[in-house]
Formats: sequence, C-alpha cells, structure tokens
Amino acid sequence: MDGEDSKPMAKEKTNFQILSPPNTRDLVDSVDAFLFDCDGVIWKGDALIDGVPETLEALRSMGKKLVFVTNNSTKSRRQYAKKFNSLGISVTEDEIFSSSFAAAMYLKVNSFPIDKKVYVIGEEGIYEEMKLAGFDCFGGPEDGKKSVLFGSNSLFDHDKSVGAVVVGLDRCINYYKLQYGNLCIRENPGCLFIATNRDPVGHLTALQEWPGAGCMVAAVCGATQRDPILVGKPSTFMMDFLLQKYNIPTSRMCMVGDRLDTDILFGQNAGCRTLLVLSGVTNMETLKDPSNCIWPEYYTSSVSDIMSLSDDR
Amino acid sequence: MVFPKLLTCFDQRGKGWYLSPTTLRNLGSSMGKNSKHLVLTSRRWVNSYFVTHFSYYEKNTVCVICFCFFQEEIFASSFAAAAYLKSIDFPKDKKVYVVGEDGILKELELAGFQYIGGPEDGGKKIELKPGFLMEHDENVGAVVVGFDRYFNYYKIQYATLCIRENPGCFFIATNRDAVTHLTDAQEWAGGGSMVGAVRGSTQREPLVVGKPSTFMMDYLANEFGITKSQICMVGDRLDTDILFGQNGGCKTLLVLSGVTTLPMLQNPENPIQPDFYTNKISDFLSLKAATV
Repeated sequence: MDGEDSKPMAKEKTNFQILSPPNTRDLVDSVDAFLFDCDGVIWKGDALIDGVPETLEALRSMGKKLVFVTNNSTKSRRQYAKKFNSLGISVTEDEIFSSSFAAAMYLKVNSFPIDKKVYVIGEEGIYEEMKLAGFDCFGGPEDGKKSVLFGSNSLFDHDKSVGAVVVGLDRCINYYKLQYGNLCIRENPGCLFIATNRDPVGHLTALQEWPGAGCMVAAVCGATQRDPILVGKPSTFMMDFLLQKYNIPTSRMCMVGDRLDTDILFGQNAGCRTLLVLSGVTNMETLKDPSNCIWPEYYTSSVSDIMSLSDDR
Repeated sequence: MVFPKLLTCFDQRGKGWYLSPTTLRNLGSSMGKNSKHLVLTSRRWVNSYFVTHFSYYEKNTVCVICFCFFQEEIFASSFAAAAYLKSIDFPKDKKVYVVGEDGILKELELAGFQYIGGPEDGGKKIELKPGFLMEHDENVGAVVVGFDRYFNYYKIQYATLCIRENPGCFFIATNRDAVTHLTDAQEWAGGGSMVGAVRGSTQREPLVVGKPSTFMMDYLANEFGITKSQICMVGDRLDTDILFGQNGGCKTLLVLSGVTTLPMLQNPENPIQPDFYTNKISDFLSLKAATV
C-alpha cells in the first residue's frame, strides 16, 4: 500500500453550490458518515468554532458516524481524544485518524524492519504513535534543544540504522534536525522519507495562521533533493483504514474541510461527497479564483450550517 | 598568460592563501596604474575593508571590491542580496527581515539598509497560548532568506507574515544550495532548506540572487561600465565556478590548487574548458599586466 503524491487529479469544472435548506437535507439523508477535518473546522487552536458541539451531537443522534481526519501531526489519536473531551465533545480514539497515526501505519503495513530505527522531525504526536506501533524511534521534541558545533574537524555523526525519516509539523525545528534528517536520507541506503502532510499553513491559534508541516517537509526536500512519501491528506492512504473500520461505501461519506488542496482533494480522490467550510484557511475569493481548480460539491460558512439549514422549513 | 584590462574574481579555495591589504595594494600596482580592475575575493574579513579600501583604489583607478562570491554558503550571496536591493532602489525607509547569518546583516548595513532578524531571532521561542497574536513590522519591504544555522519556527512565521501581509514585500533568496561544504569531511544542509521552508509556507517563488543566478555578474558589469567578457571568473571547480562563469558570459581561469587537477582538466571526457588555467593564484599576482 502506498501513500500518494499530492497532484490534483484532472476534474471537470462543476458548479459548487452553497448549502441551502433543500440540498442540506438531501446531503444529510444520503450520507452515513461525516469525515471532519479539525483545524479551522472544529476548532481554531483551543477555541471551539460556534455551534460545533451541537451539530456533532445532532448528527450522532441521527445515527451518523463521525470520523475526524486531521493532518496536524503534533498530537497522537489518544491526545486528540483528550482534547475533544476537554472541550466537552465526546470522541473516542478510534474515531480519529491523525497523520501521526497514518505515518506509523504506513511503516506497519509496509513491514518496516524491526532492526531499523525511525528519525522523527516532528512533535509528540508522531513520537507516541511510532512507539505505540512498536517502532524504535528518536529525535522529535528532544532534538529541538540540540545545536550544532562547528569546529574545522567536527564530524556530524548519524545513526546508520535509521531506515525512515518521518517529517511533520515541528515548532521546534532547527538546523540540527535538518542536518540529521539530511544525512540519514542521503547516506543510509533505502532510507524512507515520509511526510505526514504538506499543509503550508494552518490555524494553530484562533487569531492567525501559522506555518504548517509543509515548511518542514520543504526544508528537508531542499536539502536532500528528494520528494517524500505523503501519508496525510490529500493522499487517500488513510481511507483504507476507514473502510476497514466502517464498511460504508465512500459515496455515502462526506468530507468536511477548510482546505481545497488537502481536505476537498482527499474527499474527491476517495470518491466521497465534499463540503468546504469557510471558517478556516479558505475564503470565497480563493474558492472563486480562476487559478483554483479544486471545486467542492458544496460550500458553507461553518459546520453549524449542516444542522441549522436542514432544520429550516 | 596575458591579462588585459580585466576584472578578476578570486576564489578562496586555493588553500592557505588570502589577500592582505598590502597584497591588494601590490596587486593594484602590478596591474598598472591606469587600468581599471576589480578584484573580488572570498575572505569574509576583507568585506570589512571594503569601505576604506574602495576609495583608496578608486583614486588610483584600481577598484577593489571585497566580495565573497564563490564560497557557496555563508558569505557568498550576502553581497548579492544587498546589491540587488540597491539595483531596484529599495527605499531606505523600508526594512529588510533577514533569515540568515551575520554576512547578510553586514552587507545590508554597508549598503545602508535597515534590517531586523538575523541570528538574534534564533533565540526566540513561540508559545501558542489562547489569544496569542504574533505581531510583525508592517514596514518590512523585503525578506532575505539564506543559509541559517539559527533557523527556527519563529523566523519562518515572521518571514511568512511579512511576505503574505505586507503589500509588495519581496522574497529574496541568497542561494538555494541543497548542501554546502562547511567542513571538509562532509556535506551539510544548505540554504536550499531555509528557502524551501519559506516557500513552503508562503507558496511563493523567491527571487534568487546568488549562484546560479548570474545577477551578480550583470550587476558588476553595469556598476563599472564594462562588458561581462571583461570579467574573469577564477575558481577551482569546473562544474560550478567555471561553468557558472561561462554561462554568465565571462572569461574563466581555473586554478589547480584546489579540487581540480591537471589530469581531470585534460581528461577527454571533461566537456568544460576554461579560457585559462594556472597552478596557483600567486603565479597570477607576480605577473605584470600587459596593456592591450
């Protein structure tokens, strides 16, 4: 099973529709599982977006399955469940598919050898998922404190048994990690270069956007001149896990997200219905821009419209 | 070898050699008083002599620019970034945000530009608490990104905010080298990573002013009123220095005191032929220039 590259598939232009009472009811009736992105859809940083808890509860009470597919690799599934619960939303670990989990699963399904190690350029989330999956990993947050010494004869040493470098959002990115990853990828034969995701920016706080994993991945690409294996959206790698768990055809799933080139593209690539919410990184201008060629089936201002519009008579 | 009125650019890699102020003056006089010559060297400290020596040499119609061009990483394109901003009349009341090291800061200062950022920002941390908003100076009109061993998340975000939110803000890359030879023993992640990161968040392509862009050659030719064929590129690597010089339309001089040996140069499989070659730089220094 492979991760995929992130080039959008050719698609005919369709008129994306704004959610309105009739089409919203139709959408809700024809979908058994709603897949939600998190940053910019459910919350921004630690602030819940208005109307989200009620909407999720209402969908559950209608018997809809709720799944959370997030590219943010800073937390593990367990840590995300904790965050949901602390915000008053009841979600279980196995309803969450984070890119941190995706990276660990990629190595698992591709039989990553036990005697090889994983170097992590990323945060706790990736680290925890790797450990849970039984992999020997190092790097991560700890290497954020390391700096490089430059004597004329200093040799930067690296572990020759590293068989994969996993790169995700890393707010403690530094030269040490870049160089470590660079050496492993360039010098360890067959070393995998895995990216959890390539989002350029995201709403890590409520008030503004922040650089995403796309930066760290691009930094490693810049040094190694290699392209990574992508496991997060828009790669449909995670979809196989979802299908195993839920046994629902993708045509009866709806991906709800705020980014065209990750969430919506993921939904389309997997054959799902797609709904863009304008509560995150994308605004009307971007959606309607002539250079944009990814069009969701529907768009609306936020998640809460799903219920408020279908209730409207 | 004969060197008529030529600009000559020196590469440092002839080991154990550097140009002292005395040598520079001697070089000037050995070239002949009324010939215009540009000597570009690659020792960082020589940069600080730029201002004092420039006026001296100009008086004797020997112009000396101390300039670290061919050592790819730290020094190289620092000058190029400052020169570019000069060439576009970048307003002196605007600021430059630097994701890079001291070399860039010094060159900007010499050129009279205001800057913020640099190694100092390497110590800054971010805490993404609720309600936190990172401010940025709206007066930043250009972000210059180069090799930076003090690279961190704060700088990526600061650069991103300037580029995305300050109207007309330039995104300039001093170089995009994937790897660089900081030590002889191995390769190190180069400026290409830092530039990659900022491209990653802004999704904008930078303007590259260092190698392999031939901006510097155009700039020098323009600045001194000469043609590019009056510039001689001196280096020890065929596939970077010499090829670069040829692509730029310059004369090329290969020095055999570095990476390339005579057998390598004369190998029939080698497609890159410089205009001249010499064993070491000091051979050149001891020549008197013949006027054409």
